[in-house]
Amino acid sequence: MQKSSQDYYALLGIPRSSAPDEIRRAYLKAAKKLHPDINTAPGETEMFMDVQQAYQVLSDPVRRSSYDANLPPEKNTPAAIDKRILVSRKSLSQIKEPQLVYVLIDMEPSLEMLDTIGYIPLNLCLVLDNSTSMKGEKLETAKQTAIELIRRLKPQDIFSVVAFNDRAEVIIPSSRQSNPVKMEKNIRQIQTSGGTEILQGLQTGLDEINRYLNTKSVNHIILITDGKTYGDEQACYDLAKQAANRGISLTGLGIGSGWNDIFLEKLANLTGGTSMLAPQAKDIEKLLIEKFSNLSKTFAENVMLYYKLDKSVEINYAFRLHPITDLIQSGSPLRLGPILQNWPFSVLIEFKVSPKELESEFFTLMEGKIEVSASNIPLPVPSMPIEIVLAIKEMDDSSGTLYEANRAGDYEPPPSAIIQALSKLTLYRLQEKARNEMALGNYGKATEHLQKLATRLLAQGERSLAKTVIFEIENIETTKTYSEYGAKQIKYGTRALLLPEETKK
Amino acid sequence: MIVCQNCKSQQPDGSIFCSECGTQLPLINSAQTQKFSPNTDQLQISGPYANQIPKQTGTWISLHLLDSGNILAFSEQLEFTLGRLSDNQPIEPDVDLSPFKAFDNGVSRLHAVIKNIEGSAILIDLGSSNGTYVNGIRIMPNVEQRLRHGDIVALGKLKMQVVLS
Repeated sequence: MQKSSQDYYALLGIPRSSAPDEIRRAYLKAAKKLHPDINTAPGETEMFMDVQQAYQVLSDPVRRSSYDANLPPEKNTPAAIDKRILVSRKSLSQIKEPQLVYVLIDMEPSLEMLDTIGYIPLNLCLVLDNSTSMKGEKLETAKQTAIELIRRLKPQDIFSVVAFNDRAEVIIPSSRQSNPVKMEKNIRQIQTSGGTEILQGLQTGLDEINRYLNTKSVNHIILITDGKTYGDEQACYDLAKQAANRGISLTGLGIGSGWNDIFLEKLANLTGGTSMLAPQAKDIEKLLIEKFSNLSKTFAENVMLYYKLDKSVEINYAFRLHPITDLIQSGSPLRLGPILQNWPFSVLIEFKVSPKELESEFFTLMEGKIEVSASNIPLPVPSMPIEIVLAIKEMDDSSGTLYEANRAGDYEPPPSAIIQALSKLTLYRLQEKARNEMALGNYGKATEHLQKLATRLLAQGERSLAKTVIFEIENIETTKTYSEYGAKQIKYGTRALLLPEETKK
Repeated sequence: MIVCQNCKSQQPDGSIFCSECGTQLPLINSAQTQKFSPNTDQLQISGPYANQIPKQTGTWISLHLLDSGNILAFSEQLEFTLGRLSDNQPIEPDVDLSPFKAFDNGVSRLHAVIKNIEGSAILIDLGSSNGTYVNGIRIMPNVEQRLRHGDIVALGKLKMQVVLS
């Protein structure tokens, strides 16, 4: 007999809005797990019967609708986060070649939440390069901006400043801004000298952050430099990894063209942060203030994606389109970075599925969960399970062409949000390709890719960036080197294309 | 496998943009790609998806060249640039209009782009030297202009009628 309290949807672990094929899939999965032939644990046979019963009702449209009508209303607590997951295709083909699948994950705070959340205090440290090369406008602008930031701090924020060259000095110890006049005075006294040893600055900056390290704060380092560090890169990466594990993230701001963007980018990426380019000294102010204001609008400090993949699946790359446009360091879990209050969060992942015998009807591309740490929300955000399942399209063996239904035109194009994102991301990746080829000394290939990039940029109306690329092609052809200036302009320029339309400029 | 019609590189099934040249790939899967062979030789069009058969299933826009009577039909590609090829320059349009006296008619090398944005045909002049006209009125460069069925578009003096389906 049917138990009156039984919720068939809960039993199968699916939402009430599930489509018939989702119901079928959930049923097959549950039935496999609970089948009496393989399962003798007490009580499971009854559950197997219940699952059978649930499927019989839910798979029959008539019985389902009368069942739905008598269900007590769902107890729904408003979700803290609205999320949307789009997949580029609904099915895999049964072919003996690798196939790509794109997944786009969008999240934003729900409107109910935005009304109720509090402010997450900052625990921020500016780590400022004061080596000789910073002399003049660069250092002066950075100092001036640091003073501006002090004025913008809220009473509960913690702030510190470290200056470094080949050694590091604490200019403002980690503290609440009890004495802004003295803080400003200390900053004004920073002078240039010596070389650039980032490890020194990073270590000292982390020490300052650690003094007030708190999981309920945004713990963040902004590293500002115009130079390259030598020999201590690996030690820096190790520090960054430790910092990330303690909930500290890092932004790298590079000025001009002489800094090592590949190093600074990796350093920041390891913590879920990003690198930025200030082409000239005057750009420091805008970038820093923007960064500061984004930090103070943090909604969730960090999002992690834990996942399991079938052994035939790998992640080619994961890229955060916004709010902080950057590559996400590979590995499991993926550290997806923060969610801001005022900007949607969007991550694109490219999966490669290697050929394998796809025998069942469905293929699980990824199974996992998204964990959000948001300390300003009264209740913890429940972890969000994520499961991406694709159908498997049958092949007609005799001719090797696809199954009839496909030819009949039920092929669905990928969601336009994925096409939009990829149309820009492809340009960034072309740039990356050219750069890797240059590093290998493959000039011909590199200029070829830059030419294609210039063509696409022109087609998208990005004339000034296209010009920079064409100029760089000529430079490579004559000097056989990728200019530091061009490399950074093109990299950060193509990356900026990924920002949503209204936030550009 | 999908063969990019622009640079001929091979892209894995499921790719949406060519990783070698950035062109949007046809929105079809591998088995169909192999069957699809645009009849471009006759017309000598370098552009990937132009072909002579306007009634090809899925054609969303075709351009009827008024002087020569040729028809360029587009189905899979939702965005393409129009222009003309010339030697010694890196910029290649998706559709080369050289066979239709593009040079004499004042078509720039990368003249304009047509995109399908959620079902609407959008024309953008890419800062061409001699301008783009819709029904005789010059449009602003780099500004989206929606095309309607029957519009006469002129790239410089090269005129074509828009047929939407």
